[in-house]
Amino acid sequence: MAMTRQEKIDARAEKEYYKHHKSRFRTKPQDTIFAVINYIVFAVFAFLCIFPFYYLFINTISDNSLVSKGLINFVPRGIHFGNYARLLQVPDLFTSVMVTISRTVLGTALMVLASAFVGYLVTKHEMWGRQVWYRFIVVTMYFNAGIIPWFLNMNMLGLTNHFAAYIIPGIVAPYNIILVKTYIESGIPGELEESAKLDGASYLQIFRTIILPLAKPILATITIFGAVGQWNSFQDSLILMQSAPQLYTLQHRLYIYLNTTSNLAALMQSGGSSVSKAVLESALSGKVIKYTISMVTIIPILLVYPFMQRYFEKGIMMGAVKG
Amino acid sequence: METDKRITSTAGKGFYHIYRFIIVALVIMLFIPGLNPSRIAGIINRNISLLTTSFSYATLTNGMGRAMRKGWVLESTMRTLQLSGLGITLGILLGTAGACLSLGNDRCHRISTRLTLTGTILALLSCSGIFVSYGQIALTEKPSKVAPMFPTMVVPLIVALVILLVVSVILLFKVPKSAKHQPLYMESRYYLFLLLLPFLALVFVFNYLPLWGWRYAFFDYHAGDTLSLDNFVGFKWFRELIANKSTVKDVGNVMKNTLAMSGLGIATSWLPMAFAIFLNEVKHSRFRKFVQTFTTIPNFISWVLVFSIAFAMFSTDGFLSSIMINTGVWKQGQNLLMDGSHTWLKMLLWGTWKGLGWSAIIYIAGISGIDQQLYEAATVDGASRFQRMWHVTVPGLLPTFFVLLLMSVANILSNGMEQYLVFENSNNSAAIMVLDLYVYKMGIVNGNIPISTVLSMLKSVVSVVLLFVANGASKLIRGESII
Repeated sequence: MAMTRQEKIDARAEKEYYKHHKSRFRTKPQDTIFAVINYIVFAVFAFLCIFPFYYLFINTISDNSLVSKGLINFVPRGIHFGNYARLLQVPDLFTSVMVTISRTVLGTALMVLASAFVGYLVTKHEMWGRQVWYRFIVVTMYFNAGIIPWFLNMNMLGLTNHFAAYIIPGIVAPYNIILVKTYIESGIPGELEESAKLDGASYLQIFRTIILPLAKPILATITIFGAVGQWNSFQDSLILMQSAPQLYTLQHRLYIYLNTTSNLAALMQSGGSSVSKAVLESALSGKVIKYTISMVTIIPILLVYPFMQRYFEKGIMMGAVKG
Repeated sequence: METDKRITSTAGKGFYHIYRFIIVALVIMLFIPGLNPSRIAGIINRNISLLTTSFSYATLTNGMGRAMRKGWVLESTMRTLQLSGLGITLGILLGTAGACLSLGNDRCHRISTRLTLTGTILALLSCSGIFVSYGQIALTEKPSKVAPMFPTMVVPLIVALVILLVVSVILLFKVPKSAKHQPLYMESRYYLFLLLLPFLALVFVFNYLPLWGWRYAFFDYHAGDTLSLDNFVGFKWFRELIANKSTVKDVGNVMKNTLAMSGLGIATSWLPMAFAIFLNEVKHSRFRKFVQTFTTIPNFISWVLVFSIAFAMFSTDGFLSSIMINTGVWKQGQNLLMDGSHTWLKMLLWGTWKGLGWSAIIYIAGISGIDQQLYEAATVDGASRFQRMWHVTVPGLLPTFFVLLLMSVANILSNGMEQYLVFENSNNSAAIMVLDLYVYKMGIVNGNIPISTVLSMLKSVVSVVLLFVANGASKLIRGESII
């Protein structure tokens, strides 16, 4: 690209300046020390963040007898995947996985659709009482009646011990509605909508053919965050499903297993009669089973993580701009 | 002849208000067990609403198995009851559809009144079904077990339905005849509102209706009781919170833990900013990316999994014990998780491990928004690396920091309960019990609903006040609100 005359002058002046003040820009020894310390601190912290996952993983795939002796700390040995296969014998685990997958898929899909739709509707200034209704929704982010009244309410609605309790309350997500609204207002040109309107398109048609496709980036963001939230949900299962163990989520199940290992090993032993006793005993040392269930719970998160990463900043920064 | 679709006669405007008001009241009634008009016997579960009655026969007859086997209650009675409930529900739904349509033009009004009329008549007929069931159940052989009771809630229902009937008949005559030839039309302002309405209903049911549960704070309630004047105790539980020695001691301890842990969180809230600033000094972009990737992961796993990781690292046969035994430092494995010392600090460290990388992202994004010329100018002026960080980057990030700080002050009572629940054990229980966890234990685990409701209430009110204070402070200092 050709430089303008002024730029050329600026560039020359800059060069001159550097030449005369060389010492100021030379790397000093304290800079190097700083950089080294900085790198080390971050490397250590990153290591601390990732090592436990690695540790869990190598313990689930290594020879169980070595694991139970505490010999697998850094390098996996005697690699096998038997522990994962054996999880099928763990009572109730499969049900919990299915419950969690269903709520993740269904709950996220409905939440995203609703957020898109409501987010679109609240951008319509011609709506009767728009500002009031928008505040009516958004205020709930800052205020809640408390956990016990919430529980009593769910009980009153007949949603305790019911799968619907995982889905319906989460459909309207105020924060996500704000994200979609902000995105539509700032990212989708109003003229598009106007011209569609002139062509006789209805609000629903505009939503389907213009808003949904154009809002994809923000919808992807809330999908991923919503799905992770559903997958990690524990509190609602703990509080609402007290007499419906078949509806416990995976996290809730894991919590129970973490607190009662010995029973688990016993249960599995009575279940798997075809495997030789010695193999079972080594395989079923409670520790490995706990680790393996944890891995199963973590793996889906780690799998979607790379996709999530690129939406981080978008999600966070959009949230900072409130409409 | 083509009629203008926009024509909406103002006829009967006041009646429409009565009509819509009644419909909203009836819809709310559908969900509230206390207002269930179909509860004709004490044996019927007191926690079921009319909506459940009409759609789930199994829930309706739940707990009546014996009575039905013995013939105390006839199946036909219960079936009639369910059908009546269904009739009323459908009637109300028709009325609701009518109420929605009443926002349109005259043609819509025409359909609206017809729907409402049909619905009202259906619901009124169904009410008689409830009386039929009641008549049957009143003749039971075992009144002591079945406990027939007159469904008092039917009376206000019938009154409301009759008013509705009268109103819709009046409206039927008020709507101009010409409406027949109009196309269906509704002003977009109302149409958009109707599209939003189902979602507003959801928000109301799940976010505002729980406030109705605050009334439990004023009753001597045990699971399974009904609230009535007999167990109304006024402010007894509030007084108990101040007067009862052991409760005061418990709550005092809980508040200490809550404030201590929130306080530690606030005291370290500059860490993410420091993290971002120092990470920005890392010139190797691959390394920077790598650090960011790995330090954010823990944020996305649940507290249960964090505990699982803590377990793998620090329990009796975990990583640390293995290493210590293998190197001969320890004779045998130790379960550090059961150790009750320094609980606050440990919780802070786990919170930092989980959240630091994530919280830093907003500052990292903030740094990339700072004008690069400021750095160049500072360099030219001879500012050292630290001077640039301190005088350029930090001021650039301070507004964000300030908002987040105020938010965390507003949330000082809400530590959440998951972290403390999973890490709690007999040794650290006294130091880890934060307000959220205490309320959960008190209300859900021990079933002490009233006093935990009192705590929930107080917490909500204090939180809102704090939020307003924080917002006010923000307005005062920055001239900008945070919510």
